[in-house]
Amino acid sequence: MSIDEYNGSAIVAMTGKDCVAIATDTRFGVQRTTITTDFERVHKMGPTLYVAMSGLVTDAYTVAARLKYRLNLYELRENRPVNPKVFVSMVSNLLYERRFGPYFSTPVVAGLDPTSGKPFIAGFDCIGDPTIGTDFVTDGTSGEQLMGMCEAFWRPDLNKDELFEAISQSLLNAQDRDSYAGWGAQVYIIEKDKVTKKILKARKD
Amino acid sequence: MSRRYDSRTTMFSPEGRLYQVEYAMEAIGNAGTCLGILASDGIVLACEKRITNKLLDEIFETEKLYRLSADMVCSVAGITSDANILVNELRHIAQRYQLQYQEPMPCEQLVSQLCDIKQTYTQFGGKRPFGVSLLYAGWDPHYGLQLYQSDPSGNFSGWKATCIGANNAQAMSTLESEFKEGITLEDAVPLAIKIMHKIMDQNKLTAEKLELATVTRSDDKTKMTIIPREKLEKLISEREKLAAAEKQK
Repeated sequence: MSIDEYNGSAIVAMTGKDCVAIATDTRFGVQRTTITTDFERVHKMGPTLYVAMSGLVTDAYTVAARLKYRLNLYELRENRPVNPKVFVSMVSNLLYERRFGPYFSTPVVAGLDPTSGKPFIAGFDCIGDPTIGTDFVTDGTSGEQLMGMCEAFWRPDLNKDELFEAISQSLLNAQDRDSYAGWGAQVYIIEKDKVTKKILKARKD
Repeated sequence: MSRRYDSRTTMFSPEGRLYQVEYAMEAIGNAGTCLGILASDGIVLACEKRITNKLLDEIFETEKLYRLSADMVCSVAGITSDANILVNELRHIAQRYQLQYQEPMPCEQLVSQLCDIKQTYTQFGGKRPFGVSLLYAGWDPHYGLQLYQSDPSGNFSGWKATCIGANNAQAMSTLESEFKEGITLEDAVPLAIKIMHKIMDQNKLTAEKLELATVTRSDDKTKMTIIPREKLEKLISEREKLAAAEKQK
């Protein structure tokens, strides 16, 4: 059993036309035992910036809290909301500080640039290597299944409703092929002036 | 006087005084005034800007008001460079608490922790104290809206209305007579302008020289609003009309 499979998760982020979506499963389990089915993996970092953490839940929680710490200080000093590209550097730096004793959690960032409104998604490995995605980014124990599903469903310039359908179907079908993820799903559709959270009904196994 | 006791910051004088701390407070007594009033539904902070050269580039939002966290703001009077260090420290203290306890830091604890740091400069190290007094305005779920003041000695206390900086004694005596329990923000803002207008009597009060912010709670969020220049100009001219009318009587 690998430490990355101790808790299990399914995370995906996709870009659309002037919008992004980030979706996760909601299972919190310890190996084969499911503890709760309403676990929030997505954390809000700004009005149009969200991050979801995969992997070991305790590390996911800690990284998110430490990130918020650094982000709060950044925004107090600079007096403006953070730009997603800069946020990616912040995440990368935080994770690399633990290069030889890493956090067993990898974030997925999804957001819109606060000034231009351009969609932005990124994924990382556990020591902070950033991959800025152009189409979609997947993570978690269902990462590979999600890659395949996204490849099939994603097209460029999806509007928000098409994007919702694409990301939801990718997530639901991928997590069904993973015993460690599932038991519910949440989708956040991020647009310039509003963020919609939708809860999906999934197979409860 | 006992001059030989004032170059060492950490030594008492024979009369039991810490001269360096007192000299620091002198420096603040010549700095731009900061006034704070705790109303029943909000806090108003009014500050006199000393640096008003038209050649100055306006890169900062405010000169004397600083956000410390999502629920606290402060205004400073004294040496600005010293103030920057303290504000930075305050921001870090608040975030460390938030990281550790996953909830916002209570106002008094933030003030208290910074004051403990300020106090060490009056007892250890041989470094001079910070030449800054601060007014803190904030909200926490335990005590609601609060107003605090701290000085270079590391002393702090909670206030319903207070003033630091130049002419603060005059402002305090006016506040003592004019402040009413249960005052609302709607009345506190003109009162703040009235007092600033009074104490800046020699130099005319203009919107460029004033920074005014209100701290309120709505929708479960703490809001710090910096009053825009146009609104300030309106408030000042209303004050001037009232003052002229009072003079005529």
